[in-house]
Amino acid sequence: MSEVREIDYTGSERLTMNMGPQHPSAHGVFRAILTLEGEKIVAVDAVIGYLHRCHEKLAETLAYVQYPSIASKTDYVAAMASELAYVMAAEKIGQFEVPKRAQYLRVAVNELQRVASHLLWLGTWCLDMGGALGGGTSVFLYCIREREQILDLFESLVGARLLYGFHQVGGVRYDIPTGWVEQCRTTMDLIEQRLGEYESMLHDNAFFEMRTRGIGVISSQLAQDVGVCGPLLRASGVKYDLRRNAPYSSYEDFEFAVPVETEGDCHARYRVRMVEFRESIRIVRQVLDGLPEGPISSRPGVKSLAQVKVPKGEAYARVEGPRGEVGCYLVADGTNKPYRMKWRGASFSNLAVLPHIIPGVTVADVVAIMGSVDPVFGEVDR
Amino acid sequence: MTGTSAMSPLLVALISGGVVLGALTGLLAYVTLLERKFAARMQSRVGPYRVGPHGLLQPIADGVKLLLKEHLVPDAADKGVFNLAPVIFFIPCMLIFASMPFAPGLGVADLNIGVLFFLAVSSMEIVGLFMAGWGSNNKYALISAMRAVNQIISYDLPFVMAALVPVMLAGSMKLSDIATAQQGLWFIAYPVIGQLAFIAFIVAGVAAENRTPFDILEAESELIAGFRVEYSGMKFAFIQLGEYAHVIGTSFLGAALFLGAWAGPGPSWLGPLWFTIKALLVFVLFTWVRWSFLRIKVDQILSISWKLLLPLTLLLLLATAVVIVIRSGAGV
Amino acid sequence: MSNPKSRGFFREAVALTSAVVRAMRITGLNLFRKPVTVHYPEKPRVYPDRYRGLLALTIDKETGEENCIGCRLCEFICPPAVIKVEMLKAEKRNYAKTFTLELYACEFCELCVQVCPTDAIVMTKSFDMATSDRRTMLLDKDRLHAIGLQYENSWGTGNRLRDMQAPPKKVAAPEAVEAPKAASAPAGGEA
Repeated sequence: MSEVREIDYTGSERLTMNMGPQHPSAHGVFRAILTLEGEKIVAVDAVIGYLHRCHEKLAETLAYVQYPSIASKTDYVAAMASELAYVMAAEKIGQFEVPKRAQYLRVAVNELQRVASHLLWLGTWCLDMGGALGGGTSVFLYCIREREQILDLFESLVGARLLYGFHQVGGVRYDIPTGWVEQCRTTMDLIEQRLGEYESMLHDNAFFEMRTRGIGVISSQLAQDVGVCGPLLRASGVKYDLRRNAPYSSYEDFEFAVPVETEGDCHARYRVRMVEFRESIRIVRQVLDGLPEGPISSRPGVKSLAQVKVPKGEAYARVEGPRGEVGCYLVADGTNKPYRMKWRGASFSNLAVLPHIIPGVTVADVVAIMGSVDPVFGEVDR
Repeated sequence: MTGTSAMSPLLVALISGGVVLGALTGLLAYVTLLERKFAARMQSRVGPYRVGPHGLLQPIADGVKLLLKEHLVPDAADKGVFNLAPVIFFIPCMLIFASMPFAPGLGVADLNIGVLFFLAVSSMEIVGLFMAGWGSNNKYALISAMRAVNQIISYDLPFVMAALVPVMLAGSMKLSDIATAQQGLWFIAYPVIGQLAFIAFIVAGVAAENRTPFDILEAESELIAGFRVEYSGMKFAFIQLGEYAHVIGTSFLGAALFLGAWAGPGPSWLGPLWFTIKALLVFVLFTWVRWSFLRIKVDQILSISWKLLLPLTLLLLLATAVVIVIRSGAGV
Repeated sequence: MSNPKSRGFFREAVALTSAVVRAMRITGLNLFRKPVTVHYPEKPRVYPDRYRGLLALTIDKETGEENCIGCRLCEFICPPAVIKVEMLKAEKRNYAKTFTLELYACEFCELCVQVCPTDAIVMTKSFDMATSDRRTMLLDKDRLHAIGLQYENSWGTGNRLRDMQAPPKKVAAPEAVEAPKAASAPAGGEA
């Protein structure tokens, strides 16, 4: 079991600084109490819980038809993945069939969400590293401009831009409108081209490399001990992607590569996510090419509150969200409301690695590390 | 103005200083708008748009807003230092224009040591900066002020070296002499030496003015606003104006040293206009650099300065000296 | 420099210069692209057909009667419980005596629209709800009807949404109720 790194007291004066809950680069409400010696950090004390909204209790009071749109609010940047975990858990307990078209639509929407979430990650990471008045803003605004195209796609599919309520137990709620497939293809082409622009802005850029190479190294052993997931794990050399290792929702039908890097520093995580962009676009194109006809739900449209009853049982369903493994453990008791729901947030486990990698770096590096860990505090605090 | 014998020299100096200050403040206000619009266009958006047609009244609105804001002084701040710092920061940044001739004979004081005066006075702002950081009684401000002292001192050296290349090529520190020496060929067009010196000037200038990619001292996402974090109202406006005055001053110096100052087609009374246009071009270059790059860390900033830029500029000076000797030896 | 890949001084200088030039080229390229800003509110934003905007109650076009029968299904399904309905019984059909919707707490999930048996409650293609007084966002029945008449209704009504989700009967027609492409002007999503 890896020890939390301890730095010896060198005799110079220590400063306790609060990287408080209100901070432009804390990625949400996160409080890190840093102890500094000069510019180097010797200890970090992370305080979370500022965004706790009692999701797990809410799930006990809301029915299976009501909760998916609330589930999207845990990881609000990747709402589709959050909903999918809950819905898959309920379907696993009740052994509900999900039609093929619904599964393909779920894959398409989840991969689009991955692209959108990674665009936000790239934008905010560069914003933190480059300053709100500087080149970081340029990259941020470009990424947001592209993300708007994907949100437009979601808006014409679902009607909402950020928090959807798209999934339901047994399938999905909305089918694709006419013209959506062409719009999606155009958007994917545009984003692929613009990705090339971002890469040329950042790749081999001396400033970017100085900020990210060798910073925040998570060794493969540490990653597995602490339990990080997602791009952090893959950048540390562990080839583990739930879409490959434990396929769900017809992911086994699609061809895509799983990027793995071995260095484990911020630059490796950047490279992993840039490859994931292109792989997600590839998956979306495959879905659009091979979308089968059929119903979008195996259950009739929701007409009343007591419609969906899940028989007694328990199950844990996991989804590869943009940040890692999003899991939902559901205990059902035969009524239309779960007895207990436990949410495994990807960012919550990823944040656990911070006390191991932050001591020893400077304050500026904390910002780069937090950005590359990419936490979303809705998931952390639930 | 330096030739009129009808008025006493003191009166002439006061009037010319006042005119320069007034024009300068107007230019400063609109330079902020230029930066915002230029940055916005590079980011696929429009920048200030609503206040006045296409945002032309935005600087005035900002000025009025800052005038009307409350002056907050933290309780535990060192009041004298805190209140005096913006003024001490602002004065050198405006004083650098005293040695700048805007046309042959048109300027406040065309000193024999014009370039030296500029460089010396512009680095006095460090005092005001550190006073601001210290007097704020704020850890973020203090860290930022310490970084600033580090950085500006380190980069003033390559800045001076890069500015010395045109001085050596012209043989004088007087800015009007440098301008006349460029009548045949602008110094930026000198093969290799001119371009390298210009690039070194830009890089060192960006760093000496604390702009991205070297704006570690006001790293917004880490230290919020750095040493300015506790200021509000007109004191904040002074600091902002001082920073922009420094930037524009460096742009004018760059235009004078490398781009031929007031040389341009048309009658000679268009000289100041051409000078201003060239200075704005240099400013646009600074802005373009600012909005394209990520920030780098303080240890890397310092190592770039001491390990890369200073040796390069010293080599450049050596090369310039060699070129001058060869040219004068060849009888040119 | 603390760059682990030290490639020799001049190669590094060349790499640095080319990186600088590349980054500045991209921002310079964007300088000449048209800004993506839409000058709202002078230029109206085009909402897609399924847009989940403000909620509204509808009136039957032929008979002029309210569609709402006060069955309270929307009240029961609403996750944040913002709808409150009182039923009024009459001879031929029921009505809603009072219908209040707390728009400031609504999460715009469209579940109430989905369950409505008579397509009474719909969402509109508008999001103009900015106000300085929160009490104006407690919508009563009159406000809801007024919103329904003022703004264009979205495509999604209860029956259409349920038909979209239901497994197909033995009819050969594909999912007929597609809405037109969102990027074009709202041509009206008809069934």
